Amino acid sequence: MTIRVSGAIALGVCALWAWAVWQAPVDAMQGPIQKILYVHVPCAIGAYLGFLTTALCGALYLRSGRERWDRLAIAAAEVGVVFCSLNIASGPIWARGTWGHWWAWDPRLTVTLLLWFIYLAYLLLRAFTEGSERTARFAAVYGLLGALAVPLNYFAIRLFGSAAMHPDNLQRGSLGEGMGLPFALGLLAAGTGYVFLLLLRFDLEGQRVALARALAAERSS
Amino acid sequence: MSTFLAVLWKDLLTEWRSRDRVVAMLVFSALVVVVFHFALPGGATAAARAYAPGLLWVAYVFTALIGLGRAFAVELENDALAGLALAPAERGWIFLGKWAANVAILGVVQAATALVFGVVFEIDLAAVALPFAGVAALGNAGLCAIGTLAGAVAVRTRFRELMLPLLVLPLLWPVLSGAVRATAELLATGRLPFEPIHLLLVADAAYLILSFVTFEYVLDE
Repeated sequence: MTIRVSGAIALGVCALWAWAVWQAPVDAMQGPIQKILYVHVPCAIGAYLGFLTTALCGALYLRSGRERWDRLAIAAAEVGVVFCSLNIASGPIWARGTWGHWWAWDPRLTVTLLLWFIYLAYLLLRAFTEGSERTARFAAVYGLLGALAVPLNYFAIRLFGSAAMHPDNLQRGSLGEGMGLPFALGLLAAGTGYVFLLLLRFDLEGQRVALARALAAERSS
Repeated sequence: MSTFLAVLWKDLLTEWRSRDRVVAMLVFSALVVVVFHFALPGGATAAARAYAPGLLWVAYVFTALIGLGRAFAVELENDALAGLALAPAERGWIFLGKWAANVAILGVVQAATALVFGVVFEIDLAAVALPFAGVAALGNAGLCAIGTLAGAVAVRTRFRELMLPLLVLPLLWPVLSGAVRATAELLATGRLPFEPIHLLLVADAAYLILSFVTFEYVLDE
């Protein structure tokens, strides 16, 4: 029920967001391609949410040993990787159209790519470790280490300078007129979409664990 | 503290008696230089001196990965890893003991590799020997902090030789970036730059503290 409600909310917000992006003014310098902003940044926020939730749930799992925290951690990591992949895929399209290059090693881009690799390694670690309890422990430790890159990514421009493509974080007034609403709705869509996907994957993981246990019990009997 | 010294002494003594890890790492790092010679357009000569700091650290990282993989693999024999986990001691100190032994072993290999690089690329390392040793030690400390923790994790996974670099390399960037930039500036100007050293110190401290705290969850019986 919760999943369906969250799905309906996410769908509604996404429809509003699509309408707002359609209505948003076309940037005088960059043209329509600038509208990728309304997808690119929300995807980054979805990735941050996923990776921070993974680290937090990992820490809670290490502290309490309760399996549900681990299930939430893996759900958040997978959803975070999906958002991060969309973020990394949308960036070069925008960059090619505006700056003429698919890729530039600017600090935020580089750290985002590394974040993506860190959580891909997290998922591979889970796949290659045997024993659910050991997998959960190892993954929690690695997820915590990996989360160090999230604040570094957010403050990358201030820490490492060189804003070749990415500006410093958005502040009030840094968007043009009429661009604030689609941008805010994009963030809301990422947030609600993230919650929906997280709950869906969390539920799926619960079903997977229950099925694995049932199969193990059947084999032993 | 006594645990730290006992583990450090055990690892160094084992290495002194067999010398297999140091020898393998030394041969590997020399081979990496040969590979660079064939990979660089003008060969690994004074003409490619500008790339030397980056190449030197690539050699250090790959050599370290070879050695770090062995640090815990040897503990699997006779189930010594379970013995370590069952020892009535704080596991963080076991981590520090393993880390210090890895730092010492990699330090020896770093010194020999630097000599080879100095000869091949015609760099007068003797003029900056002391500050360079400091940069190498800081990079070594961070590399071994992540590598020791990841080594303990990877050794319990399938495809452990593959898992170790996958876990280490994405987390290594602050250490590698600081070390390469500091080395490059040191070789160019003869002075130690503040910013990369600062980055190295912060990254080393963060990784060491997190690894010390979380190592408890990595060792299992």
